[in-house]
Amino acid sequence: MDVRARLTSAAVRAAHVLVVEAPGGWRERFAAERAAAARGWTPAASPADADVLVVCGAPGDDLAALLDRVWDQLPGPRARAQVRSPTGAGQALAEAAALLADERHQRRDARERRQEPAPLHGDMDHGGTDHGGMDHGDMAPAGIPLASGGPDRDGLEMDVLHLSLGPVLPSWPAGLVLDVALQGDVVVSAEARHVGGPTAEGHHGLEPPERAAYRVDGVARLLDLAGWPDAASRARRTRDVLLDGDSATGHRLLVGLRSRVGRSRLLRWQLRGLGPPGRPDVHDRLLRALARAVDDLGRDAGDPGDGTSEDGGAGPDGLASATVGLELAAVRLVVAAADLDRLPTRREVVGG
Amino acid sequence: MADVSVVSPAWAPAAALLVLGGAWGAAALDGVLSGRSTGLPGRASSRRPVDEVARLMRQRRRTTVRADGLLWRVGGAAMLVAALLMVVVVPLGSWAVADLAVGVVWFNTMDVVVWAAVWLAGWGANSAHSLVGGYRFLAQALAYELPLMFALTAPPVAAGSLRVADIAAAQDGLWFAVWMPVAFGVYCIGVVAFSVWGPFAPAAGADIAGGVLAELSGVDRLLVLVGRYALLVAGAAFAVPMFLGGGSGPLLPAWTWVLVKTALLAAALVAVRRRVPAVRPDRFVEAGWVVLLPLVLLQVLVVAVIAVGRG
Amino acid sequence: MFWSLGVVAVASGVAVFVVDSMARATYALAVSFVAVGATVLLLEQDYVGMITVLMMIMEMAVMAVYMIMFMGMNPALMPMSMVHDHRRAVVAGVATFALLGAGALLVPWPQRRGAPDPDVTMALGETLMGSKMLVMMTISPVMVATIVAGIVLAAPRGRYDRFGDDLRGRRADDPQPGGVGR
Repeated sequence: MDVRARLTSAAVRAAHVLVVEAPGGWRERFAAERAAAARGWTPAASPADADVLVVCGAPGDDLAALLDRVWDQLPGPRARAQVRSPTGAGQALAEAAALLADERHQRRDARERRQEPAPLHGDMDHGGTDHGGMDHGDMAPAGIPLASGGPDRDGLEMDVLHLSLGPVLPSWPAGLVLDVALQGDVVVSAEARHVGGPTAEGHHGLEPPERAAYRVDGVARLLDLAGWPDAASRARRTRDVLLDGDSATGHRLLVGLRSRVGRSRLLRWQLRGLGPPGRPDVHDRLLRALARAVDDLGRDAGDPGDGTSEDGGAGPDGLASATVGLELAAVRLVVAAADLDRLPTRREVVGG
Repeated sequence: MADVSVVSPAWAPAAALLVLGGAWGAAALDGVLSGRSTGLPGRASSRRPVDEVARLMRQRRRTTVRADGLLWRVGGAAMLVAALLMVVVVPLGSWAVADLAVGVVWFNTMDVVVWAAVWLAGWGANSAHSLVGGYRFLAQALAYELPLMFALTAPPVAAGSLRVADIAAAQDGLWFAVWMPVAFGVYCIGVVAFSVWGPFAPAAGADIAGGVLAELSGVDRLLVLVGRYALLVAGAAFAVPMFLGGGSGPLLPAWTWVLVKTALLAAALVAVRRRVPAVRPDRFVEAGWVVLLPLVLLQVLVVAVIAVGRG
Repeated sequence: MFWSLGVVAVASGVAVFVVDSMARATYALAVSFVAVGATVLLLEQDYVGMITVLMMIMEMAVMAVYMIMFMGMNPALMPMSMVHDHRRAVVAGVATFALLGAGALLVPWPQRRGAPDPDVTMALGETLMGSKMLVMMTISPVMVATIVAGIVLAAPRGRYDRFGDDLRGRRADDPQPGGVGR
């Protein structure tokens, strides 16, 4: 059985983590990402890819219900971890690793878990399997209704698919759900809502190094979405150094990151022109966020710096309308860029 | 006509093992490079392929509601099969598993099989993100395929034959990569693109929750990931007789040189992922048709003029 | 080998009409065409056979794009009837098969004189096109020009929509801009 034990420990060494941030749990998320990277664990792109589900912060009831559905989608062997405070991240991940390696626990979990997906809504639960064989002439195979058509932007008729983006999506603002109607991968209408509790407005009150770290984290998420994992991990390392309080190294890393990102012509080609016309595009917002982070490092403690976004704060409805007519990749980039201007509000700082 | 001895089909598994070994090496290199950017020690990250294989073999398979199982699994496996079939025509020194008179067209056909494979993998999962990934790949493929096809015609025009061994032999003295740089560059872009790698990975991108990989787990996921690396290695291996002089080189025997050149080119292609952000299909389409295609056509014109001039 | 390929081609051709899913129909058609291409390979037409296989796989992949674009209902999950004008089609199909089959079997084909040329593809090309080689080479750019012209004519937005009435707009005004800005 030595081979089996070795394989299990190899598998646990390469675990993929799906990190979910409850609104207000951003400090916990930074700590969890840092702890996962220190263990050599990769961030998972989707629940199917994940072995460990890490929930950072305190989710509300609605978010907790959604997280249970996500938990169902992890193929297993799987482990769940709750990070309630930044210092507890390492411990939580270590416990998750132990659970992953525990064969008996995993076997029991495999026996006792749901084998079929949970019904979508209570009223659509048609009693399960006997309905599946009778879907001739019924426009809803397996209980899911087919998409209906609608005119698309060229005037042709095309199917409309309703999709909810978030709240559990990598590099996605915490608690945001964007209900989009897609034709192909172009968004024709969008509505934004929040899960896990509303965010309150108010003065943020973060110290400059923490502000810079938060901005750099937003930059890292945008770089991940732009498909540049190297720059994103560099940004995350900068964020961790800034959180540690080491301003000298942090400043050096940050300036290096800023020049690297600014120099990249390919990135400029890809991100230029994205976003509502007349407003700064994604590339400009990216560079602006980096510039503000550098600026924050130069401020003294207690200096509030500039306020929240200079854009006049688009808000969720403005965000939803900004995404209409864009295709999915552009939507993700625009949402991440809009998030760059946000700083955590007072409620989130206090710890939601 | 260059001399290539066709080995018996019993050696085909050895060729497959070489490709898989190359894929392993590529995965290890990628692990080391990504470990370096996250700050992990090199030894630990070079073990990444072992750990990932162990993890994926231990992970359970899953499916979605009303997934088209046949198409999904066929698409997932077809990437690896296409890669293995691609190297069938590459001569290792003076041995080849198959010596086709139209070896270049065979390679082209196999890389078109990847079109079908990735789309099927995207479609079969019955998931929005997965489908978007499949269609992103088709959009990108429509942009890179024509330049790639024309880049693949440049060496045969210079060598006067579609046979891979003839093309390798026609490069004595000066490699094609040196005097057909545009064709070589476009070929490398094509290889990275059909492997869904690096700058051309939006089909499996993080912004659509992994795209074609979104609903895969366990052995199915392992097959697709191995397929990606295998395609990179197979593309690099095919570039050796086409652009890098085949087995020519001092001191070492021909087959060693083929392996060395493949390894170097594959390493360069793996490392490209680190340096550049992703190129989205909607931004790449115009670049492929309006910039790359005319450049490659000009390249083929230049090569044809030189070939006619040489006699 | 020939017979097994033939069976595969016919069986997957039938499968195109039998399966419920448009995606499966598309790829059943691809399998059928690949079998036909492999048959051509058996006739030692290496180049033509490989190109047939290549083109057919690429065409089926592109057909998947059009399938989603033009099929009003979800084409994969519902059983659907793929045939139009059922009876007439069957009659026409059977009649054509009978005619061609009778021709293949009953025409007195000439006996082979001599051996085939070592380079079969070149010989076939020369026999088919012979002295008209220059004409054939001129035709292909004309065909490409026709395809491009057709697309330009069919596009709903012309130059004047994109660049303004005096064609002086610096950047094209497109709903979805391309990457190079032309």
